[in-house]
Amino acid sequence: MKIKRTNVQIWLSLLIASAVLLHNMGFFDPSRLKTGLANISLFIRELFPPDPSVVGQVSWAIVETIQMAFAGTVLGSIVSIPLALLGARNIISGVPNAIARLLLSVVRVVPALLWAIIFVVAFGLGPLPGTLGLAAYSLGYLGKLYYEAFEAVDPELLEATKAIGCSKLQQIRYVIIPETANTIISQFLFLFEYNVRASTILGFVGAGGVGFYMLGYIQLFQYQRLMTTLLLTLCVILFIDFVSAKVRDRFLIHISK
Amino acid sequence: MIHLNELNALSKEQRPAVELRDVWYSYDGRSYILRGIDLKVLRGSSLMILGSSGSGKTTLLKIMCGLLKPSKGSVSILGAEVTDPSNGNHIRRQIGYIPQQLGLVRSLTVLENVLMGALPRMGFVNSLLSIYPKSEVEFAEQCLGVVGLSHKAGEKVYRLSGGERQRVAIARALMQKSRIILADEFISELDYVRAREVMDIMSNLRREGVTLICVTHDVDIAAEYGENAVILRGGEKVVEISARKLTPDLLKESFNED
Repeated sequence: MKIKRTNVQIWLSLLIASAVLLHNMGFFDPSRLKTGLANISLFIRELFPPDPSVVGQVSWAIVETIQMAFAGTVLGSIVSIPLALLGARNIISGVPNAIARLLLSVVRVVPALLWAIIFVVAFGLGPLPGTLGLAAYSLGYLGKLYYEAFEAVDPELLEATKAIGCSKLQQIRYVIIPETANTIISQFLFLFEYNVRASTILGFVGAGGVGFYMLGYIQLFQYQRLMTTLLLTLCVILFIDFVSAKVRDRFLIHISK
Repeated sequence: MIHLNELNALSKEQRPAVELRDVWYSYDGRSYILRGIDLKVLRGSSLMILGSSGSGKTTLLKIMCGLLKPSKGSVSILGAEVTDPSNGNHIRRQIGYIPQQLGLVRSLTVLENVLMGALPRMGFVNSLLSIYPKSEVEFAEQCLGVVGLSHKAGEKVYRLSGGERQRVAIARALMQKSRIILADEFISELDYVRAREVMDIMSNLRREGVTLICVTHDVDIAAEYGENAVILRGGEKVVEISARKLTPDLLKESFNED
């Protein structure tokens, strides 16, 4: 088979461009690479053995992290449902719809970490700003997923209930919500999983949870304690992901019936 | 006695269940899906609407139940103008509309779906909290009895068979206390026996004065259960005859002429 010349040109120029970029980042500086690799191996050696003396303290911080993630997801999803109803084009049209969608996308643009910083500035250190940060992020994300789910509801169902003479609120209560309940629950769980992972880092900015300890151990060069924290966090996250995935599967199977 | 019958006939004549006068409909203002339909359906009668795909049958039904507003012409239901906004909800309660895919909420139970027919007559708070008066629940159970589904009241709709779903849709239309039932090809997915079971339920309702308007592809069903029949082609009414005179040949003929 004859290789097209233009294809070769495209691949070659992509390769050269990548090489130039890597060079600019300092990737081809051998002395720097050497010290970097040596540092990493040193760092890894210092992580072991994990220091078990902090298990109790860190476990409480992980519990706090999970609480933040759960409270944030609940708060965000409660606020997101009415906004998503306003944002669904098959329910509301015109200006209110545009405003709801704009609001949700503005909230979504700001990452959870930045929300946490904003709320730390406003409310001070602790789990409250972390929870609010996660709630804001969840609101933007779930709002979009929910209005897309609402819009996917069979239009014939809405027509049939409109023909009966049902009001908008009655349609929402008896058609939109029951038909999307499984999606609502499974996306909620998915975001809870995500928020448990995201909330570990929120402690870095003083927004409560296990991240606060992680940052402290890094700054004090207590890498063996850091290792204990990382291992515990990993176990808890894997466990939550596993359970949540199982539960979501059940709901998704139910949807496809 | 004869005199009474004549009087009855006269009152039927005066107030048709559904009357369309020169109805035109267009989505975009350029091409028309319905072109000058005139139709009169008497109370307690049954009309079968036939026609090829895209001939405007579904649009015609949606105009009758008020989901679509005619671009031109007028529609009256039991003597009240549909186009008059002050009649809006009152008219909707007279009409039970059963769309092609039935429009049932699959994740709710049979009884919950039937009770939806009562929502427009309920108070705001009670209707949202599902606090149905005892009389409505009893009436819903009666409606399920009429279609022979009392034993499935607590079942979720997605667990039902096709024929059972059709019957839930009929029960919901009955729950609306509707005097007119519009059905859009709703028996097309059923086998010979099930389709006739469902149609038998519908014709029993006619004896109680319910007017029946069905869109169907099935000439046999139309001839068996219809009183009158119209055939649509390209948005126009091309044939209007007694349903018994329907034949496959007639249908073929009126489909093909161009």
